[in-house]
Amino acid sequence: MSADSPAAKALNCPKCGAPLTVRSFDHAVTIVCGSCGSILDAKDPALKILQEFEAKTRAVEPLIPLGTRGTMPDGPYEVIGLQQRTITVEGADYSWHEYLLFNPFKGFRYLTQYDGHWNDARPLRSLPAAVLGTRQRVSLDGVTYKHFQTAEARTTFVLGEFPWEVRVGEIALVSDYVAPPRLLSREATGNEATWSIGEYIPGRIVWEAFGLPGQPPRPVGVYANQPSPFRSLATTWRSFAVMAAVGLVLMIGMALSSLNAKVFERTYTFDARPQQAEREPSFVTDVFELKGHTSNVELTTRASVDNSWLVVNYALINQDTGQAYDFGREVSWYHGRDEDGDWSEGSSQDVAIIPSVPPGRYYLRVEPDTAPDRGAVRYNILVKRDVPRFLFYGVALLALAIPPAVATWRSLKFEHARWAEGGGAAPDIGSAA
Amino acid sequence: MIGRLYLAYGLLVLGLMGVAQYRGWSFDSVSQRKDVPRSVRDNPGSYRSAYGASRRYTGGK
Repeated sequence: MSADSPAAKALNCPKCGAPLTVRSFDHAVTIVCGSCGSILDAKDPALKILQEFEAKTRAVEPLIPLGTRGTMPDGPYEVIGLQQRTITVEGADYSWHEYLLFNPFKGFRYLTQYDGHWNDARPLRSLPAAVLGTRQRVSLDGVTYKHFQTAEARTTFVLGEFPWEVRVGEIALVSDYVAPPRLLSREATGNEATWSIGEYIPGRIVWEAFGLPGQPPRPVGVYANQPSPFRSLATTWRSFAVMAAVGLVLMIGMALSSLNAKVFERTYTFDARPQQAEREPSFVTDVFELKGHTSNVELTTRASVDNSWLVVNYALINQDTGQAYDFGREVSWYHGRDEDGDWSEGSSQDVAIIPSVPPGRYYLRVEPDTAPDRGAVRYNILVKRDVPRFLFYGVALLALAIPPAVATWRSLKFEHARWAEGGGAAPDIGSAA
Repeated sequence: MIGRLYLAYGLLVLGLMGVAQYRGWSFDSVSQRKDVPRSVRDNPGSYRSAYGASRRYTGGK
């Protein structure tokens, strides 16, 4: 407020004689003595005592001292009153504080605080509309608010001055509707209902606005209209979709430009029966050339296995450098019928990928083995160079999905914590709005 | 901020995917050894395969 703001009026409490300061001038309807807690009629020149309240036994220390001036988004305000309100749910009391702020030119607004969560609230000029067919939603200025909680709130502490007749013990039916970061509150007493709209603000903003010392209380849990830190979830999933599409295009482009060339193919027969057992089973293939840049080699083994197996120990050996890639593969296929019907296990084909093989002249050293009682096994070896592998795209897709998936899970957890605090039947606002 | 971090992470993942495809990476297990003698072509049984402890293992030749 500017230096030429109207000055506060000084009075004395008729009960204890303590000085009273009236900051909202003619707007004040009730004044609460900060010393004895008496609730006084501000409209009565003699300050008639309306209610005597045991303030000392229920004293609440305001986080923002009365008389503190601060800068709200639409101008300077002074804290002139504090009201503590309490709801009881399943035998447990939950209390929040409502700070009444006043600017002689702008009027009143409130700062509410519960467990370190703050809301900047002001009375509503227009009424929200009931959404047809449900009590769970109301609409205001094109925004739909979802019913969060309805409970009886009683005033359990007051301090300062108020533009209405405040009483400790006063009860109102309070209904909250949320569309984070906004919250609509409806307070009904008798046939009268008033609405206010609040917006969630971090405690540090309040501290900065009022120049308060130290740090604001740390928020506990998730508040009804607390904005989710995962609001950009849809954007993250859209980014995922874009990157998945870019990855697919990249993968298809690389697949089309890869050699995918057959460099060797040959069919062999292996017989492990006793009369053949003395023969050396291992042999080497002809030399073949692997062209292009360092890339993979795909080796496919197809075998005439039928309820039998073939194991082949391979070595892909560079003819010139002596570099060898050693690996063993098994081809086995078993099938039959039992009480559950037909069954099958394995396959007559196996594919191995040898990673990052430099170009050069290579041959294969092949060492087959099979069961000695199964007769001759025919098998085919096919070698291909620089084969595209869409497996990498699948792995990339999974890796890309991890951050949005984790964020989605955390968002669901956040919303679950929010709605776990809600409850109560939504009122019929059609008649009493 | 989170969007930028995710974009950087996504570009890293796609870059790795491209490198993996280009260089021919694989999850298959392969043992590498160096200096295999040229004589293996004439005497394949002399090669000691890392996977060769089979029934038909014939020992040194």
